[in-house]
Amino acid sequence: MVEDTFEPKIIAFLCNWCSYAGADLAGVSRIQYPPNVKIVRMMCTGRLNPLFIIKALQQGADGVLISGCHPGECHYLEGNYLARRRLTVMRKLFEYMGIDPRRLRMSWVSASEGSKFGEVIREVTEDVRAIGPMKEFKREGL
Amino acid sequence: MDTAKMRDEVKGVLSREDVKYVIGYEKGTYGFRVSPAFIDKVEDVDKLIISPLCVNNLALYLTNKDKPPVPRGQTAETETVGLVVKGCDSRAVVQILIEGGYPRENLIIIGIPCTGVVDIKKLNEKFPDCLEGDVEEKDDKFIVTVDGQKHDVPKDELLLKKCKTCKYPNPVEYDILIGDKVQERSEDYSDVTSFEEMSGEERWAFFESEFSKCIRCSACRNVCPLCYCQVCVLESLKPQWIRRSPTLSDNTVYHITRAFSFGRKMCGL
Repeated sequence: MVEDTFEPKIIAFLCNWCSYAGADLAGVSRIQYPPNVKIVRMMCTGRLNPLFIIKALQQGADGVLISGCHPGECHYLEGNYLARRRLTVMRKLFEYMGIDPRRLRMSWVSASEGSKFGEVIREVTEDVRAIGPMKEFKREGL
Repeated sequence: MDTAKMRDEVKGVLSREDVKYVIGYEKGTYGFRVSPAFIDKVEDVDKLIISPLCVNNLALYLTNKDKPPVPRGQTAETETVGLVVKGCDSRAVVQILIEGGYPRENLIIIGIPCTGVVDIKKLNEKFPDCLEGDVEEKDDKFIVTVDGQKHDVPKDELLLKKCKTCKYPNPVEYDILIGDKVQERSEDYSDVTSFEEMSGEERWAFFESEFSKCIRCSACRNVCPLCYCQVCVLESLKPQWIRRSPTLSDNTVYHITRAFSFGRKMCGL
């Protein structure tokens, strides 16, 4: 019999220059991390439209991770600052509406931090597992 | 709120060469309603009114107009318009100016110090089936004319809720001010703070009940002076961010998107 446990689905938006390379390094170095995360690569976290986050949560994700270069190290100079500001406002808005802001998470992972990437994924997965499934505005029938 | 004085000033504005029209209020065709008026001739100025019934924000009409494509090598025709604003409306105008939504030099702001406008819903409840009505203000009373009969109503009964705690009754930006400035009131955010004190589940329960009522008529977007993007993300089909059916899920996305778009405007994201 299959045990009915909740496995969170997490969408990770990673920047091409740091975090995606960091995820690559995590794979190459055979670092273990939970398989709950689905990665979307983008050229810079500054490209992140807030609607991406909302749509991900609406269409079945339980948490969203945005990961980019460390502050000051953005390939496009200030893209990660934009993402940070957007996410801060989005978290505030979620908190105000009564949706758990821990579903949204931002982290900085550089290309050389494969082990940190694994760490971040583990933390996010555990956090979202603790919050439980996204039910607030998930689309019905999914 | 001095209609005669405003008409005089508008005449002065309209007699200028570069001014195309003045946006103000005129009497509506039914009940207590007033409608926006675009006055482009001096002889039409007498249509303009200003009364406690002039609730709606006219700043909308600065940006809400067709911008036909300009042939190459030509520049778009600039036109100066006059705009009648109350204190609250002037703040919307300021935000439009900050965003570069309209050039300041092409705008003449006719400011009206406002002592509060009526809540049309309360008025219609009190005087149902009114065919032709008018409201005047006298000291702390509204004189309501319903089909020729006059009634005195205490101001507190009919005032719009936001007017009772209005901090900006005087326009914050104006070229011409009609009349003297009025006394400011202190703002009251007790309803917001009490909402913030509720738990997360209670807040979501509130929003859930509100969003499930929404039929997504988009009136909130259309009436908003700061929602003036030519291409709106809420109705784009490629990609379709929001499905057409008014379900709770898509309604929530719609309202988050609108709220976030304002958050972005206010903090420059």
